[in-house]
Amino acid sequence: MPEPDGDLILDRLIHEPGRLAILTVLSSVSDADFVFLQRTTGLTKGNLSSHLSKLEDGGLVEIVKSFVRKKPNTNVALTPVGRERIARHWEQLERLRKLAEPSS
Amino acid sequence: MDRKTLESAATANAYLRGLLSVPIALLLFVAALGNASVGPFRHSWVFLVVVAVLAGAYLLINRYYNDTFGRVTPSARQQSRLIVATLASVVIMIGVSTLLRSRAPWSLDLPVNSIAVAFALVLLVTFIAGGGVRLHHVAILGALAIAGLLPVWHGSDPGNIGLVMAGVAILVIGILDHILLVRTLGPLVTEDSNAGA
Repeated sequence: MPEPDGDLILDRLIHEPGRLAILTVLSSVSDADFVFLQRTTGLTKGNLSSHLSKLEDGGLVEIVKSFVRKKPNTNVALTPVGRERIARHWEQLERLRKLAEPSS
Repeated sequence: MDRKTLESAATANAYLRGLLSVPIALLLFVAALGNASVGPFRHSWVFLVVVAVLAGAYLLINRYYNDTFGRVTPSARQQSRLIVATLASVVIMIGVSTLLRSRAPWSLDLPVNSIAVAFALVLLVTFIAGGGVRLHHVAILGALAIAGLLPVWHGSDPGNIGLVMAGVAILVIGILDHILLVRTLGPLVTEDSNAGA
């Protein structure tokens, strides 16, 4: 049995569809708030909260909680590690896609 | 959602806040009425009051968008592009309108509506630079530019009509942008909406 290519092993923390969507949105902005992430990813409040906690624990995102006009506001940004890992993950997915293409 | 849609969500949020164009369009209409000294708009204080009211309306609409669709800070790259687009817009606005038709000695003094053309170009540059250009932007602003370039604007300065034409274009674009934003970002998913699934 051939040895798996270490470079092609996907990051399980990132590969979950909800978390991949969150990190992809955040990779294109400086920071975004909870409502924006909910709108763009289509996740429920509970799911988004849970995914953000996991990403924060993994050191991929930084969460800042504050009040805007007396309403709680949760702002999320990628950490440098998170930015690097999501870019690497998309590169790996792209490589896998190319490998799966039938060779002509 | 695919990768591109997710990555362009921030651009959509920034560029498709179409209802913000309503006070801007109204400002252009009021400016045209003021220039033409129509009714109470001949008084400059009326214009200033209207500007203050429209500025308040703009802030309220912006608050609605922030609360409904969320806040997002564009990336440093997007912010740089926006600054460049704003600077280019000032140059285009002054340059095009002066070149096409003005009292400047180097003006071509063509029978065109330079205000309509300048507005069309400025908005197109802004949308393209920000990466938020859509087909309806090109169609409406293209139509505005063509209407302004038609050699039928003889006689006195058609700047006021140009302002009204630009206002109508901005209003229509804004309404279409808002519809597109609502369609793109969709309704909020609640725990209840998942319960039956």
